[in-house]
Amino acid sequence: MISFRSNTRLYSALAAKAYARNIQYRGSHLLHNFASAAFGYLYACIWIGLGRDHSLGEYGTHGMMQYITFTQTSLWVASFTTVGLGIPQSVRTGQIALDLMRPVHLFAHLAAKEWGQIAYQFLYKSIPIYLVMLLALGLTPVDGGRTLPIALLALAGSAYMGICIGYMIGVSALWTTESSWLHWGNQALMNLLAGFFIPLQWLPGWLQQIAWASPYPFMLYAPTQFYLGKGNPLALLGTLAWCVALTILCLLLTRVMRRKVEVQGG
Amino acid sequence: MNEQTYESARTSVDRRKRFRNYIKLYVLLIRTSIRSRMQYRFNFAFGTVLAAIIQLSEFLMVAIVLAKFGAVRGWTMYEVGYLFAVMTLAKTVYRTFGNEVHNLERYLVEGELDQLLTKPLPVLLSLMPRGFRLMPGELLQAGAILTWAIGAMLRSGQISWWAIPQTLFAALTGGILLFAIGMATATCGFWTTRISMLQNMTEDAAQTAARYPLTLYPGWMSALMLTAIPVGLVSYVPALYILRGELGAWVFPLLAVASAAAVLLALAFWRFGISKYQSTGS
Repeated sequence: MISFRSNTRLYSALAAKAYARNIQYRGSHLLHNFASAAFGYLYACIWIGLGRDHSLGEYGTHGMMQYITFTQTSLWVASFTTVGLGIPQSVRTGQIALDLMRPVHLFAHLAAKEWGQIAYQFLYKSIPIYLVMLLALGLTPVDGGRTLPIALLALAGSAYMGICIGYMIGVSALWTTESSWLHWGNQALMNLLAGFFIPLQWLPGWLQQIAWASPYPFMLYAPTQFYLGKGNPLALLGTLAWCVALTILCLLLTRVMRRKVEVQGG
Repeated sequence: MNEQTYESARTSVDRRKRFRNYIKLYVLLIRTSIRSRMQYRFNFAFGTVLAAIIQLSEFLMVAIVLAKFGAVRGWTMYEVGYLFAVMTLAKTVYRTFGNEVHNLERYLVEGELDQLLTKPLPVLLSLMPRGFRLMPGELLQAGAILTWAIGAMLRSGQISWWAIPQTLFAALTGGILLFAIGMATATCGFWTTRISMLQNMTEDAAQTAARYPLTLYPGWMSALMLTAIPVGLVSYVPALYILRGELGAWVFPLLAVASAAAVLLALAFWRFGISKYQSTGS
C-alpha cells in the first residue's frame, strides 16, 4: 500500500526541484510574459471598443478591464499547466512503467512536481503580467488590493483543479496518441465555460447550466468575482467540493491505468 | 541559335522539369503523410471531433458577445460572423499545407532539422508534406458559419451572389498571407531557436484580433494589423468591399499582389535565415 503521508518530504523536494528547474529560464520566461500581456491587452481593447457603444452591464468598461486583467493573470495558475502533467511523454518513451513502479503514488508524485511549476509561474508570470496589464490599462488593484487574499485562496483551489484535470488528460495518453487535443480542448472550455473572456451571467441560459455543472466556473470566474469584490464566500465550498471529487476521479483512474499499461520492446 | 541562347533555353527547360518533379514529389509525400495518418483512424476521428469542438467554443465566444450587444462598432452579427468564418477558412488553408512550418520550433530544439538538411531537396519541400493535415472539422464549421452569414445577407439584399467567389478568393489569398506571416515568424527561430512567444503575438493574438472589425482597436494597433502583421487583409479589408461596398474592386488585385509579395519576402527571409542556421545538436 502506497502511503501519502510518509512521503511529505519527498513531495516538497519534488516541488522545489520543479521550481528550481524553471528558475534557470526566468529571463526567457519574463520575455514570454509580454506576449501573454499583449493577449490580455487585446481582449481588454475588445471590451473598451464595445464599451464605447454599450454600457457593459453591472461591470462597466472599467470593471471589464479589471475582469480581463485578473483572468489573464490567473491563466498561468489555473490553466497553463504542463500538458497531461508530462504523462503523454512518459507513455511514448516507456518511462510510465517505471513511474508506476515507484513507491510513491503517481498522482501525488506528479501533482507535487506541478505545484512547484505553478509556484514558479505564479511568481514569474502571473505577478509580472498583472503589473504590466495594470500599467498598460492605467488601473490600480481593486479596493486597494484588499480583495486579493480571498481571490488568491480561490485561485489555489483552481490550481489544484487544474492539476487534476491535467492528470486525467495525461492518463488518456494510454488510449490515444492524440491526448494533446484534449489539452487544447480543455483550454478552449476554460475560455468559454470558466468565464475567461465573458462573465458567466452573460452566457445563454443553457450554456450557463452546462458551465455550472462543471468545475470550470470555480477555476476562473469565482476567483475573479472575489477579486472584484462581488464574490460570495460560499463559492469556496464549491471549489472544495470539486477538489475532492476530482481527486477521487484521479485516484480511480490511476487504478484503471495500472491494469492498462503495457510495455513494448526490450 | 548561338551557343549562349541554346544554353539559356536548356537551363530554362531543366528548371521547368525540376519544378515539375518537385510538384510530383510533393503530391507523393502528401499522399504518404495522409496514408500514415489513416493507419490510426480512431486518433484521426478523435482529433477531428475535438478540433471541431475547439472551433465551436471559439465561435461561441464571438457569438455570445454579438448576441448580448447586437452590433460591434456598427458591424452586424452576420458581418462579424463572416469575418470569423473567412479567418477560419484562411487559417485552415495555412495549417493544412504549412502546419510543419508553424511547428518548426520542435525541429530546431530536437535537432531534427539537421536530418532534413541532409536530404537532396529544398528544406521546405521535405518539411511541409510531413505535417499535411486534413482539417474537416474546421472546414465544415467555417463553411456552416459562412453559409449562415452569407445566406442572411443575400436574403436581405445586402450582397449579391458575386460575394461567394469573391469570398473564396479572399480566403485563398488570406491563407497565403497567414502562411507568409507564419514562415517569417518561424524563420526567426534560425537565430532564436524558440519561437512560441513570437508566434503568440504574430499568429495567435493577431488572428484572434482580426475576427472583429479593426475599428474596435486603437489606431496604432489596427495600423499594425494592416502593415507589419497584415492579418487585416485576410478578412477585414475584403469584407469592407464585399459586404459594405466600401473601398473599391481594386481590393482584389491588392490582395493578390500583397499575398504574393508577402510570400516572396518570407521565402527570401527563410533562405537567408537557413544560411545562418547553426544546429543545437552536438
